[in-house]
Amino acid sequence: MERRLNKVLFLKRALEIIPGGLSWSIIIGLIGLSFLHPVSGAMIIISFDFYWIIRTVYLTTLLVMAHHRLSRQRNEDWLARCRDLPANSGFPELYQVIIFPVYNEGLEVLRPSLAALSDIHYPKDKLVVVMAFEERNAHAHDNALILEEEFSGRFGAYLSTFHPDGLPGESRTKGANATWSAKAVRQFLDERKIAYEQVVISCFDADTCVDKEYFGCLSYHFLTSQKRHQASYQPMPVYNNNIWQAPSFARLVEISSSFCQMIESMRLEKFVTFSSHSMSFKTLVEIDYWPTNMISDDSVIYWKGYLHYNGDYRVIPLYVTVSLDVAYSSNIWRTMLVQYKQKRRWAWGVENFPFVVQGFIKNKNIPLFNKLRRSFHLLESHVTWAVWAVILVVIGPLPIFFGGSFFSQTAIAYNLPKITGLLFKFTLFTSLAWIFLSWTILPPRPKGISWFKHVLLILEWIFVPFIILIIGSAPAIDAQTRLMFAKYMEFNPTLKGNKVL
Amino acid sequence: MYGFQKIRSCLFYLSLFLFFAGLPFILSFALGYKFNAHSLKFVKTGLIFIKTQPAAAKIYINGKLFSEKSPASIHELLPGTYKVALELANHYPWKAEVEVEAGKTSRVDKVILFPVRPNLQQLNQEKFSSFRIDVEKKIIYYLDQEKKVVYRSNLDANNFEDIASLPDKFAQIDGWEISPDKRKLFIFNQYQINISFFDNQVDYEYPVSPVFLEYRQNKIIDVFWHSDSYHLVVLTDKNVQVVESRQGALPINLVELNRGTPGAFYDVKEDVLYFGDRQRSADGSFYNNLYKLELSANLYLLERLIAQPFGQAKSAQNGEAVE
Repeated sequence: MERRLNKVLFLKRALEIIPGGLSWSIIIGLIGLSFLHPVSGAMIIISFDFYWIIRTVYLTTLLVMAHHRLSRQRNEDWLARCRDLPANSGFPELYQVIIFPVYNEGLEVLRPSLAALSDIHYPKDKLVVVMAFEERNAHAHDNALILEEEFSGRFGAYLSTFHPDGLPGESRTKGANATWSAKAVRQFLDERKIAYEQVVISCFDADTCVDKEYFGCLSYHFLTSQKRHQASYQPMPVYNNNIWQAPSFARLVEISSSFCQMIESMRLEKFVTFSSHSMSFKTLVEIDYWPTNMISDDSVIYWKGYLHYNGDYRVIPLYVTVSLDVAYSSNIWRTMLVQYKQKRRWAWGVENFPFVVQGFIKNKNIPLFNKLRRSFHLLESHVTWAVWAVILVVIGPLPIFFGGSFFSQTAIAYNLPKITGLLFKFTLFTSLAWIFLSWTILPPRPKGISWFKHVLLILEWIFVPFIILIIGSAPAIDAQTRLMFAKYMEFNPTLKGNKVL
Repeated sequence: MYGFQKIRSCLFYLSLFLFFAGLPFILSFALGYKFNAHSLKFVKTGLIFIKTQPAAAKIYINGKLFSEKSPASIHELLPGTYKVALELANHYPWKAEVEVEAGKTSRVDKVILFPVRPNLQQLNQEKFSSFRIDVEKKIIYYLDQEKKVVYRSNLDANNFEDIASLPDKFAQIDGWEISPDKRKLFIFNQYQINISFFDNQVDYEYPVSPVFLEYRQNKIIDVFWHSDSYHLVVLTDKNVQVVESRQGALPINLVELNRGTPGAFYDVKEDVLYFGDRQRSADGSFYNNLYKLELSANLYLLERLIAQPFGQAKSAQNGEAVE
């Protein structure tokens, strides 16, 4: 028994080391090659530059396609489409449960989320809203009472749950809180004899303001999808809540994050849940809820479904938006730190790799090809995240500087900066598309905000190379290195617009 | 949605194709290979990088005019020797033979194309014997030995003006220099030094003007201004002296010289004199030594401070007596 446990632990540690080890090997290997064999180093860098040009063009095309779908579908009357469904579709019996796990966010964060929810284009009597507080938060009970007083009458049901601190087997994560409240919802549904199949559950970040059509769109896709219970439903996150107030640096990073998510939505075979998402309550119960000891609960829940249904589980993109807060702080340095920590938390999604591969080893029903493909995608995405900016910005010029006099006389030494320059021209070209698209997803300019901010929104894209340096690879390297050395991260909520208590 | 997925799949495979089809060409290009359509083989070539000052010169290689103008790189040249000519209107052409090696860059990047009719400009508006240029202040000083006049202008010869008159009795001038404060100059010959002030430069330190310093015993070889614009460092055939530039000042002998000096240089910024002296060896032959003599006023202050205990130096600064 002990031997088997050691074997499992060894495998887990080995899998934890692989992503960071691979990223560091690539970085150190390329740096070493730039000194020891600069011609080979330059050839690899040119190959990577060329790969990056093609990848950038490809992904920008996907972004344009996703944006086209978003602009076409976000203004549709989804509720009307739900009502047009056949009577046996199940729409009249469908309930929507919305959980807001609250860590220490204050009322100024929670009120707009609930206000947006009470303003949606959907029957409110079918909504069960759960404010999931942490018991350890000193303000939890007071805030719960205030919000209950303000909002409980606006929905079909309104629950406040309080997740006790330090339960066995749990870490201080959002998933643990969400799971606790989902179990309370289960009890609530059992008492009212509501079948789990008739319930869709959404787990939203505390600052999530839903689009008015979100639940109509979600219901329509849920009711019309084949194997509706074997899917998660992913809206497009945009960071519009405070985008006009946020500093350029943070705004750019978050817009880029939104765009990355939109691009991912076009790559269904790789698409994984992120941040606020929805799924069948029946499925949630079957796969034993969100993980209670992992930070990246939003993506792990997808993998739990994937493993439970032997690979027959998918994420359906919903081209409606949920709006979140841009993470920023009082000055540029603190904002950088806040952004860095937030991206590091996202990059901590690398913990999925050992979880998923271990799951694949145990599960004999998923085809080997699918296991290999999904493992490769997961590993490749995290390793690319950790190394791309380092290769482009730091390692790219190294052969020129340290290649020596022999290398400087070669044709490749002359061509390397030219090809790298071409890469940046291409990046600039694609940036124009990104600038235009970012403009179209902006909310209306609030009163008191100068028109000059519109101009600033375009000019600020010149900071992109600078941002790449800070937010590009460093958080991913940091997260992977921590996982390599078993320095496991704890959940820390992101400071959003100075609103955390 | 699935229509989009089909388009995406097409795009993905197209990108994949572009990458794998394009990469060999990109790498070949970067490494200097050229596809020879006749032999259907890749041939390793070299390139010539050309940069000229000024730019935009026409480039001829083996007599063939290229469309690119400098700065430019001429790619895919088979290894060998090429005749490169660079031409720019109203400039002298540049020609050379350049060796091109496979996979290497031959750099022709230090070419200056000189104008056929350089911008030659006469600066002086009066006759003169010699001149000095103060690059920092962008001033030219002209000395006319015949008329005994000093002129001044800026580097573009504007503001050409007469700034000082030299004494008539000073017949022969062997050397002259403007003081660091730009208010006066010395002239000297083997027997005397004269300090004359520029017009409109009143200096109450000099009640008698001009100043004459006579040397009867020694022969003056060179004279330098100390950075304080008051002392003169005088190199004679017998010694190195320092003398105040006032009438009747007595020189101080700093160094006795053996057999004259083979040359001297004075660093006015650091107040250091470098001078040579001839020595005779045991076998009767001569050889030179080079010496460095520091004359900075700050140096003496520093030496005094080091020589005295800290408390005493401080009290000396406060005007108290120092034992």
